[in-house]
Order: sequence, then structure tokens, then C-alpha cells
Amino acid sequence: MRLGFGRLLRIFFQSLFIQTSWSFPSMQSMGFLSDVLVGVGEDKRAEIMRTQKGLFNTHPYMVSYIVGATVRAYDEGKASSEEIGRFLAVAQTSFASAGDLLFWRTLRPALLLAAVILGVHYGIVGPLMFLVVYNIFHLFHRIKGINDGYSMGWDVIYLLNKPRFKTVRGIFEAVGALLSGLLISLIAAEVSYLLVIPLTALFLIMLVKRYSAVMIIVSALLVFLIIGMV
Amino acid sequence: MNALLLSLLAAVIILDKYALGEFGISQPIITGAIFGAIFGDLWFGIFLGAMMQLIFLGGLPIGRDIPPDGQVAGIITVVCYFLLRDTNTLGHSLFTAAVLGLAGGIVGGVLEVYARRLNEKLYARFIHHEENLYLCHTAGLLTAFARGLCLFIPLFIFADLFTVPAVAPQLTKETITIIGVSLGLANSFYLFVKVKTAVYLLIGGVCGLVLVVF
Repeated sequence: MRLGFGRLLRIFFQSLFIQTSWSFPSMQSMGFLSDVLVGVGEDKRAEIMRTQKGLFNTHPYMVSYIVGATVRAYDEGKASSEEIGRFLAVAQTSFASAGDLLFWRTLRPALLLAAVILGVHYGIVGPLMFLVVYNIFHLFHRIKGINDGYSMGWDVIYLLNKPRFKTVRGIFEAVGALLSGLLISLIAAEVSYLLVIPLTALFLIMLVKRYSAVMIIVSALLVFLIIGMV
Repeated sequence: MNALLLSLLAAVIILDKYALGEFGISQPIITGAIFGAIFGDLWFGIFLGAMMQLIFLGGLPIGRDIPPDGQVAGIITVVCYFLLRDTNTLGHSLFTAAVLGLAGGIVGGVLEVYARRLNEKLYARFIHHEENLYLCHTAGLLTAFARGLCLFIPLFIFADLFTVPAVAPQLTKETITIIGVSLGLANSFYLFVKVKTAVYLLIGGVCGLVLVVF
């Protein structure tokens, strides 16, 4: 059983739109259905529309793994709709958690820190570095995910223990910590920059105490106002 | 380039936030470079984008949580700064652009909730007319695009026409750096510093200090 280049391309292209119609009651439901439907044969479409219209939400880059495995299940025709639904329920939360930790919490902020430091010191090198490196990882998961999902079927969940998730996350946590320290290089050796110390402490306390993001931005706005008036 | 064309371009770029691809093009450091290049001051565009990036580094779109929109804030700050700069001093332009950007980021988060509520109507339509799946799904691009236009058009026109009063507060590049780095440090400590990564933070900190001093 083969996925084929044409189908891989169609699923990949459609996966770029996975969150286009994101809404609170259905989340990525229409995006997921659209993506699965471009990958399966005409004869399966009515059944999928009838049985898989419920809520769906996962990390947008990780959806490829799930779509690949779902298309495989429909191609084989052995599993019932209920079994596929149970796989989707488990897979979407597992991949959502792994994707959020890998991309949103680690890889993206670490690369953005690198881009900021490089950008302020060397100009366009920073933004370009971010776009290239980030999208190598991003597109790797989008494309390889479809292939792996299709070839492994429901066992694709076991990939979450592989180095592409755990090791990469560990490396970028270390890189992020290193770059956090290097961020100091953006300031100058002048007395006024000592203000960074109390402000960092203030914002860190707000983050640790779990103040809302809006509250933190409003505080930044107030700091701008106070400094602007002084 | 006039305010309307800039709004159209910004609304297209902001689709990258969630509606299309998510390649990272809408991140403030990238949009800073894009709009900096358009206005002929690439370096300052990157600098402003970098500072907004640090301020919004911790805003993570996890699950149903929709934090203030850092991407929108980055675009508004950079574009408004360049539009204001023509008729105002650097200090006034920086202050007004930063305030508009941060406020715009908060409003952007609220408008994102409304855009997603509009998508609920698309989903309801799909449930009743299954044959319209692709139409209803793709129409989500319009809600995301409209959200961008609603934010950018009034702010860019305002920035294009507004003259800041002489008594208004001012910011310097130095003060923006202080606030940006402070929030960047707080965000990155919160995200990355653990017992097992403390040694890397220390190495980075020492290297950073060496770069500052020499």
C-alpha cells in the first residue's frame, strides 16, 4: 500500500490551511476533514463526512502524522469508524501536547531569541536565519509526518518518544537558556541600563505569579508612559 | 506607499499567524525587516521588530487560550513609526508607535476571538450543507483577512495624518531597548531556565557581559 507523491502533495498543501476556519465549538474540525478528504478515495468520503465531523484540535504542524495514519486506516478499510474515532481522540491530544512543547514553548522562542540578537547586531542575517532554520523543522514535520503516519498507521503515536521530539526539544531548551544569557549583549555599559534589573524582576514575578498576558502588556504600556513622561 | 496599500499588505501577512501556513513570516522581527525595507530603513525596522518580539516572546497560543496578538503589535509599531516619522520628531514617533502597537496587540487578541466566532457560523453552515465543506472552510481566510483590515486601516490612516503635540511624552531608542530587553529576559527566563539548563544561562550571561564591556 503506497501513499504516492500526488497524494502526499495534496495532503501537505491542504494541511497548510488546517486552522483557517478555527472556531471554538469545532476548533480544527473543518480543516482536518478537508485534509483527510483530499487523501482518501471517492468511495470513502460520504462515510467520513457522516462519522468524523466532531471536534478536532491538535498542534497545526503535527496534524500531518494524524492525517497520514487516518488516510491509511481508510485505505485499508479494516477499522470501523468508531475505532478510527478512538484513535483520533488519543492522537490529537498526544500530538498537540508534543507539538506545543516542541514548537511553541521551545524551538520557536529559542530561534526568535537568536534572530533578535543576530538582527540587532548584524541586521538582515537574524530574520533570514529564523525563516530558514524554523521552516526546516516546520516543513520536516509537515511532510515527514504524512509519510510516517501513512507507513506506521496507528503506531505513529510511538514516534513521540523519538529523538525528533525529545532530543530536539532538549537541545533547544539548552540553546534557549544560552541565548537568554546572551540577550544581555543588547544593552550598553551605561548607568541608565541598570533599569533593566528591576524591570526584569517585575515582569518575571508577574509571569511566575501567572498574571494574564493582557495585564503584562498593559504594565509594559504603563512603563512606556512613565518613562516617556520622565 | 500609502496607508491603504500598507493595510492590505499587512492583512495578507497576518494570515500567516494561524489561517495560512504558519511559516513565521508574521513574527515581529520578520515584519520589522519587511516594512523597514519598504520604508528604506531596514536596520531600524529590524530593531523595532526585535524589541516587539522580545515583549511578546512569551505569548503562547496553546489550546483555547488567545493571548494579545504580538504579530499585530509588531506590524502596527513598525508601520506607524515610519508613517509618523515624516511629520513628527523621532521621540514622539517612537512613543506613539509603541503605545499604538501595544494597545493594538490587545485589541488584536479581542478581534481574534470575534473572527473565530464568525467561523462558528461557517461551521454551522457546513453542518447543514455538507457539500459546502471547502467553501465554508476557505471562507475562514476572509474572516482572518477582515480582522487584519479592521485593525490596520484606521491605525495606519491615523498615523499617516496625526501630528503629535509637542507636550506629548517621548521615547528614545535607549528606553525602548531597556523595556524590550527587560521583558525579553523575563520571558526567556520563564521559558528556558531550569536546573538542568542553568549552566547554559550562566555561559550565555558571561558571554553577553563580555560583549557589552568590550
